[in-house]
Parts: sequence; structure tokens; C-alpha cells
Amino acid sequence: MGDQLKLPFEGLRVADFAWVGVGPTVSKYLADHGAEVIRIESTTYPEALRRAGPFVDDEPGIDRSGYYANFNSSKLGMSVNLKHPRGTELAKRLVAQCDVVTESYTPGTMKRFGLDYEALREVRPDVLMISMPLYGQTGPWSPWSGYGHVLQAAAGYNHLTGWADGPPIGTGVAYTDFLVPHVAAAALIAALDYRRRTGKGQYIDFGQLDAAVHGLGTAMLDWTANGHEQVRMGNRDPEAAPHGCYRAKDGRYVVIACFTEKQWDGFKAALGRPDWCDLERMRRVWQRLNEQKEIDFHTQAWIEDHTVDPKRPDVVDPDGPEMAPIQQFTTEQVVAHFQKFGVPAGIVQSPEAMHADPQLRHRHHYWTLKHPVMGDRTYDGPAFRLSKTPGRLTKAAPCLGEDNEYVYREVLGLSEEEFIELLADGALE
Amino acid sequence: MTPPVPIPHPTGPLAGYRVLDLADEKGQLCARLLGELGADVIKVEPRDGDRTRENGPFFRGEKGPDTSLYWWTMNAGKRSITCELKLEAGRALLHQLVAQSDIVIETNMPGTSAALGLDYATLERVNPGIILVSITNFGQTGPYKDWLATDIVGSAMGGQMHLSGDDEHGPVRTLAPQAYTQGSFQAAVGAMTALYARGVNNGAGQHVDVSMQEAMANAMDNAQATWDIRRVNLQGPGVRRNNRGDKGPQYLFEAADGWVACLQAGGLIGPQGGPIIDWLSEAGEANGLDSPEWREKLGALVPLSPEDTAYVEQTMAAFARTRPKLALVEEAQRRQSGWAPVLSPREIVDCEQLAARDYWVRVQHDDLGESFIYPGAPIIFGETPWKQRGRAPHAGEHNEQVYGELLGLDAAELRRLKMRMVI
Repeated sequence: MGDQLKLPFEGLRVADFAWVGVGPTVSKYLADHGAEVIRIESTTYPEALRRAGPFVDDEPGIDRSGYYANFNSSKLGMSVNLKHPRGTELAKRLVAQCDVVTESYTPGTMKRFGLDYEALREVRPDVLMISMPLYGQTGPWSPWSGYGHVLQAAAGYNHLTGWADGPPIGTGVAYTDFLVPHVAAAALIAALDYRRRTGKGQYIDFGQLDAAVHGLGTAMLDWTANGHEQVRMGNRDPEAAPHGCYRAKDGRYVVIACFTEKQWDGFKAALGRPDWCDLERMRRVWQRLNEQKEIDFHTQAWIEDHTVDPKRPDVVDPDGPEMAPIQQFTTEQVVAHFQKFGVPAGIVQSPEAMHADPQLRHRHHYWTLKHPVMGDRTYDGPAFRLSKTPGRLTKAAPCLGEDNEYVYREVLGLSEEEFIELLADGALE
Repeated sequence: MTPPVPIPHPTGPLAGYRVLDLADEKGQLCARLLGELGADVIKVEPRDGDRTRENGPFFRGEKGPDTSLYWWTMNAGKRSITCELKLEAGRALLHQLVAQSDIVIETNMPGTSAALGLDYATLERVNPGIILVSITNFGQTGPYKDWLATDIVGSAMGGQMHLSGDDEHGPVRTLAPQAYTQGSFQAAVGAMTALYARGVNNGAGQHVDVSMQEAMANAMDNAQATWDIRRVNLQGPGVRRNNRGDKGPQYLFEAADGWVACLQAGGLIGPQGGPIIDWLSEAGEANGLDSPEWREKLGALVPLSPEDTAYVEQTMAAFARTRPKLALVEEAQRRQSGWAPVLSPREIVDCEQLAARDYWVRVQHDDLGESFIYPGAPIIFGETPWKQRGRAPHAGEHNEQVYGELLGLDAAELRRLKMRMVI
């Protein structure tokens, strides 16, 4: 039966006016699960990520950015200059053939192009449209520009990330760009399902800040109900000890978390029951929370003593000879050792380690797709597997305007003469 | 099973669908999000209440079965029933509910669901249209499937934590648990995709296998591509930003009353830096950066020397330090530069943007005789408006309602189930 099932979004067509991180991630879900997603771009005003690296061979180029590529698998690319006299008309002719319109410009931009929801539903009454700028369509900050790097600051993530008494360093990435698209995509697909059942499209005003605040765990209610402001505390946790990140001999870091007494018992056993573990003040988690400094000190020392640097295996601790030899592990082995004793533990994996991770490989997380300019490159797949209609990445990201001929000739139904005329007139730039 | 006809009172696009939530920290937010989209979400708890009711912080710091702010946050708007899945009678009750539901969310370790009657093979027999969403640490199969993980392990093994932190201290986790959040949000997309697939495939449900590690892997910005293309491992840049594999200029600056997030050195570096240089120049604090030579150097796409970068950063730092953060951001935005303030929870609640969007809702806690401010609509729908559905439930608060209305059990029957310690 499995083979006869349709991919979820087969037969749906999406006009994707969005750019940078959030919008393209939303439409990537649709594309990777069967929709025909058409990225609408311009060579005159190229998408920001096409101008951001990494570039293949470190050579900047509009079709060479890995940043852009990763968020745009399985999509088609068309180009149109919306400032050209015929730009709006062409975009509208495309929307008339589409089920979904996505965009992420600052509010008012689509209206200036004559492509706001009211205008688009005239050409496609059941169109489902989502707008996804940083701050939504209304409010004093709605005209503000920015990227995920700054929105994570406004949304509280910087405040909650960093070292106690240190600066609010944030996540090191444009974090909200990789958080809010999932909320937007869930909402969009829910509205698509509503449309499937009722025939009604609608307009969705998605403000990235609104959604991001829902990812802050208990921080908001701790303030509104308790008047307590949570603040960054390094790798500690207000409810668990030990809870931290410890440097192994090879320079990598191991994380360990003990929330339950059972995990603490496992931790003690994994360490070989050193005396400090059995002190009365280490007995219960509320006691251990007061002893984190000492716990971190001992844990760090244990990890360092029990791991080896495979590049320098023969280096022996100068204090070593008089003591009994310590069994030493690779960093992988030390994590497996804690896991064996029922302690949640892991390695802080580098991008390189992620590519080699046997679990991710087992799940086929990274896909290798051939791009005409960039060659074979890896792309992220979705974090979920559908048992009967799994997603599949069908092609590498489009070159700018790669599918113009298909879109203009077959989807819009232009004659060859018209198409050439538009090309010559600069409407596709 | 035929898909529900949308309920005429529009409370979200999913109105009419039912979700059974058997999840812990890894999936309660997923169920909550489906509730925000309009689904009827029923939390299924053991008789003595869900374990996560013990998660802090607690209202006024007082631990109790209904005072967990974690529980309030993750379960607002859901109904609650109790049901002992370790008893066969409990599993039978649950299966009767599964027959009338659309989505089941669970977070058991792989292979342990069958004992609770929650494996896909069993649920599919009960209801071929059911969508089972299983959110686990590493996925249902594979070499790490039995590994234990909490949020920090997901953040570490998912690679995101490698990008967060600084050279001096190493990697750092975000205090608000992001591996749990990401797993939940991405699972919601999986659930919706499966729901839509059911509609176009004659009602066939399926199993949605979600990995928390993989969800974090999707939050690695361009680090994945940077390794693939440049063979460079990005790592935590502190107050700076990673720039194609190299540490870029500082992006966070201390203002008079907190911090601001700016672009590259406040936007001074880059082709759009002109208006920011003008701003410093007008204030008499440009430190010479407004000279034609500096302007050309700053606007070029060639990276600055470390000495020049330091000089520019010092200039911006001195400028920012004497001014309030919101005043800085407003003026930078007026000059087309995409700055934002670093806000704390209190400042987020107080900010004029969310107030202007009528974002916050007051949720009544009738049991405490008080109401509290909660984050509001994560999405604004034109046709199917959002509605807040009340506080998080007490354990089994809706037993009579759910078992009575959905399964037609009368009071005597419910009493019998209680005596047999099933509910």
C-alpha cells in the first residue's frame, strides 16, 4: 500500500516570496514533502543569503552559497523584477496558479508591489497567504528590520544564554531563524488542512517575536506569576546537580546531567564512589544545588584524569607514578561509560562530528545533492520521519532563475515570443 | 474515519481535531502548540499525577501538585484525565479514546511503548487513521536509540551547543531548554504533515518518528554548510558573530542600561554603514571614522585588519555605553540599520511592541482566585481566530467530562474504575 500513497503536499503549488532563514525553512518543509515550491527572486535585488557565505572555493557568487542552498532544497527558482512595469502582473499570474503564498518582507512591501492579500485573493480567491516579518504586521516595531541574530536578543534568548555575571552572549547563531519557522510551518499546514476541508484560504499574520516568546520555557511565567527574573547561569540548571559541561583531555567537552536520585546514584557508581560523593551535604538534590562549585570541580578533575588525548597517548600525568594507574577512556568511551550507569551524558559535537555521527547517518539526516555549480553538497533533512510518506529531498537548491522557462512557459502559459520579449525587456532581472 | 467538519465557532484551524498528550518534557510543548492551533488536547496522566508536575519553578516557591510553573506553561488550555496504562483496563480505556482521536503524542524510550499499549502497531489496529507522534532523544532506531538524554545532552549531541559559548569558558547551553523546545516545535510540523497526508490518502494515519538530536542539528545556522564547504568547525564566538568560519566583529555592545544587538560593529562595517558613520559624526564621536579613507575601508567587502576592527569596535563601544538601549535601537532603525535591544523577561512583558499587538492574555486560576499574564497568540489567523483555553488542568480534572461525553461512561461506571484504581 505504501507505494501508492501520495506525498502529503503533492499537487500543491507555492509562490515563495520569502527570503533569508525563516520563510525558506517553512517552504522547505512543503517542498521536501511533495509541493512544487517556486522561489521568486531577482538578480537586481538578490536574496541576502546568496550573498552570504560559505561559498564554494571561497569564491563569492550568486549560485555558490552553501548558506542559501541548505534552506532551499527541492525547490524551483524563477526570477522577476517586481519594480519592472510588468513585474506585478507576472507575479499575480503566477499566484493565480498557486495554493500558498509565503513572504517575509517588512510590512507594506508586498502592498507597494500590489501583491498584498486583498490583491492576491482577487486572482486566487482560496489563496492561503502567510507573512512572516520579525515583528508582525502591526505595532511600533513592525517597520524595524533585522535578522535572527538580533531578534534572539529582543526575544530573551541572549538574556538567558551566557555565563553568570557575563555578557548576554546568546546562542552564537541567528537562533530565532531556526526556531520560529517550525511554528509558522505548523500553523500554515494546519490552515492548509482547514482549506482542504472547507475550500477557504486565509491570511496569516505571523510575527517572529510573538512565536519566539513561546520557546522560553518557564521564564515568562516565573516573571509574571512570581516576579522572579531568570537569568543566564552558564551550564548549570536550577533543578539538577551535577549539570554541566566538562573538558576532556582531547579538548572536547562532555555534558552530564543528573535530575533524579537514580541518575545521581548511577553517577556515583560511574565515578567509582569517591569519598566526596557520599558526604552528607551531597545526599539530596536540594543539597547538591548548594554544592555545585565543588561538584563541578570534582567532575572536571575526574573527566580530565580519565580521558586521553589520542594524539598524545603516551603523555602521563606527572603526579601519576606513585598512584595506582587510572583507567583512561577516549571521550566517546567516557560518555558510553556514564550512559551504561544510567546517567544522561553526551559530547558537544562539532559540525565535523555531526557529519560523522553514526546515529544521524542511521537516520539519513544529511542528504548529499548535486548542484550544477556547487557540486555535491550536504543538506539538512527534517527531524521527523513519516512512516508511510517520508520526506525526500528531490534536488539541490535552484540557481537564480533556473526554472524560468518552465514557470513562464508552462505555469503562466506565455508564448515563446512573449517570454523572449520579457527577457529582452529586463522583466526577469 | 472521516475528517471532522470544522466547528462553526472558529477557534483555530484545527478545531474539531482531538489530540491525546502522553508526553513528558520532550513533547508537552508540541501538544500545547496543537492546542493553540485549535485542537482539543487531552493530557493523560497516571492516577497520582504526571511526573512533570514536580518540575520547578513553583508558584511562590511552594512545591505542590498544582503549583509547578513548568506545568502551567506547558499545559495551559489542555484538559486532563487520569488513566493507569500499566493496567489492562486502563489501556482498554485509552484505546477507546484513541478510536475517537486524531493524534497521539508520546515520548517513551524506544521499545518501551508496547507495554503501555502505545506502540504504533497496536494503535493502528484500534484506529487506522491515528497519527502517532513519538518524540525521543535520538529516534526510534539506530546506535544511540537507548541513550539517555536531557536538554543539555540534546543540545550537545545536536551540535548547536558547539556554536554557543566563548573561547575562555567553552560551550554554553541556553537556560530555557532549547532541545526540548526544538523537538516539540519540529514534531508539531511532522504531526501536521501527517495530518494533511491523511486527508489526501483516504484516511491513512502513520507513525511520526522525531529525534530531539536531529531537531537541534537543524538549528546550526550555516555551520553545517561551512564544514561541508570549507572544512572549518565553527564554535562559540562570545559577543562576536561567526562570519563564514572566522570570528567576525563584535555584535553585542553594552548600552547605558543594558545591551544592544547590532550588526557588524553596530553596522559600521559593511556596505550599508554610511548612515551609522553619519550618526557618530553628528554626535562628534566618530573618532575619525568619518574620514573618506575610513569610510572607503569600512564600506569595502574586504575584512578589516584586527587592529582596525578593534579600533572600530572601541569607537562603537564608547558611543553605545552612554546611551539607553531603546534610544539607540530606535535611532539605528531610523537609519535603516537592523539593531534590537537585549530584553529580559520583564522587559519583554513591558515592551510596547507586544502590548500594541494585544499579545498578552490574562489567564484565570479560579482555584487560586487570581489571574496571571501568559504569552498570547503565537500566530494571528484571519479566518480562524486564536483563543486561549484557560489554565493548566488538575490531574483528572476532566475525567467525568471526557469519559462521560466521549465514552458514555456514567457515574457508577466511573466510580467502579476509580475503585479499581484505573482512573
